[in-house]
Amino acid sequence: MKPPRLGHDNLGLGVGLRSVHFDYVLKNQPEVDWFEIISENFIDSQGRPRYVLQQIAERYPVVMHGVSLSIGSTDPLDVEYLKKLKRLAKEVDAQWISDHLCWTGILGRNTHDLLPVPFTEETLRHVVERVKTVQDVLERPFVLENPSSYITFQDSTMDEWEFVTRMAEEADCGLLLDVNNVYVSSFNHDMDPDRFIRSLPHERIVQFHLAGHTDYTTHLIDTHDNHVIDPVWELYRTAHQLTGGVSTLLEWDANIPPFPVVHEEVLKAKRFMGEHLPAIEEKEEEPALVGAGSSVPHPLHHIRPEVE
Amino acid sequence: MSERSLDVVQRWFQAVVSHPGGIEGGAASPEAQELIRLNRGELEAVVRRSRNLTAAERLSIYANAYYSRLLECMGANYPILKQALGEEVFDSFAFEYLQRYPSRSYTLDHLGERFAQFLEETRPDAEEAVGWPDFLIDLATFEWTIAKVFDGPGAEGRTLLTPEALQSFPAERFAEARLVPVPCLRVLAFRFPVNAYYTAARRVEEGEEVPIPEPGEEHVAVTRRDFIVRRYPLTSPQYALLREILADATVGEAIAAAAAVTDLDDEAFAVELRAWFRFWVAEGFFVAVA
Repeated sequence: MKPPRLGHDNLGLGVGLRSVHFDYVLKNQPEVDWFEIISENFIDSQGRPRYVLQQIAERYPVVMHGVSLSIGSTDPLDVEYLKKLKRLAKEVDAQWISDHLCWTGILGRNTHDLLPVPFTEETLRHVVERVKTVQDVLERPFVLENPSSYITFQDSTMDEWEFVTRMAEEADCGLLLDVNNVYVSSFNHDMDPDRFIRSLPHERIVQFHLAGHTDYTTHLIDTHDNHVIDPVWELYRTAHQLTGGVSTLLEWDANIPPFPVVHEEVLKAKRFMGEHLPAIEEKEEEPALVGAGSSVPHPLHHIRPEVE
Repeated sequence: MSERSLDVVQRWFQAVVSHPGGIEGGAASPEAQELIRLNRGELEAVVRRSRNLTAAERLSIYANAYYSRLLECMGANYPILKQALGEEVFDSFAFEYLQRYPSRSYTLDHLGERFAQFLEETRPDAEEAVGWPDFLIDLATFEWTIAKVFDGPGAEGRTLLTPEALQSFPAERFAEARLVPVPCLRVLAFRFPVNAYYTAARRVEEGEEVPIPEPGEEHVAVTRRDFIVRRYPLTSPQYALLREILADATVGEAIAAAAAVTDLDDEAFAVELRAWFRFWVAEGFFVAVA
């Protein structure tokens, strides 16, 4: 029997660090429980992003979240990339390192997208082997996230939740349950999101992600550009009950509002954690942000230079 | 149900969603057909349909996202070039570029690194004199340099050469000495005044246009201080001098290179030199003199 969260701390309610908020965070030192960074924004940085991160890591717990590991690809693992992750994790004392159950490219190419894998025995064996290798190299807790997806393969022989469960158990890794991704994928693949969440090994869930998405009526896209919608909050309530509560993180990657709005969004999670928690002030619901209407699934990971 | 190998599925998927002709073109391409032979309309042999969408419609989400994401990133790397060209023309150049040089890196920070080279390679042959394509190439080179200087190695936190230390350096040893530049210092020579254009383009309101300048030689130094990229217009002699210092020449050799292109007489040139060194040292161009 594994302990809840595989024994890792519940860090509380955190926010995904984005470069547009660097100045605000440094100046105001907001009362955020923890930050998650996009690893690729920092592993090569020798400029301001790295400098800002060093200061944030002195004040807040930090978790590293990557988008380029490509754990499901049949290309070889990028060992140099792994070494860079490991170095940065040591520097910021990352609580754990996460990436996605996906592949990003093959034949040496990177599409910079989180592409779906067929859920087959072959894929399972392949991914489990690679997760073990990654864990051996990183020597730090490693956690995989369920991505949003827009297709399923004819070749799949099991449901996503079965694949994720077997992968986590056979590779002995943690899970990052993206509640919004469960909702998005379930809508796109005519699945029951509640069943998805109830079928997972809850003691292996180390972290939750929450985010907004875009509804195209026929399908949903994981755009991270808006508030979290109510049905996702309801799934979060279920996930919270099933896990006993784990570190919760809000991602906002496009049409990014001021930091207090993003922080306020994750604090809403308290409403779904149970009656014994302190009551929080109810606010009028914010209108949905109208703007770029991006159809690009996120996260992207590019920081604009500051030039005088 | 025939289970195809993961490798075959992934190679097929990438070929289909990154094909410039869209999903149908991708599935019909020799690359994809060699992996999974499908007739038109047979995508559902590989990808399941959903209640609302066909296999082709679902795959198109990935195909659209592939180019949208990377074009967005190219635009973020080259904001002023995009502004100069307009979104449609910029995206058409970038679209072609992404096919010739698809990303092979774990980071999007390298995505645009060969864009100036690509513009050079695809420069219209008929344009022999300095012309519009050179403006694009120069501007792309400039914006890429800015991006690299912003996040590359810098000198923040290091002790820099001070005006006092330069002043007290023995004059008789100065010509044989070397000035050690900060690692972020770059000097560039352009055929168009792209630094001036960059400044003007950043000042205008959205939707306003800055006319593309006439050709004209421009030299500029780019460096970083306190994590912000700084730009310094240079004269030809200043450019020659700093270029030689960056090439590890002695101060004497660098001054000789500058003297070869100055119009000033010896006395006026000496006065100018002292002022340049004082200014550059004060601006944090150098780590040490040795």
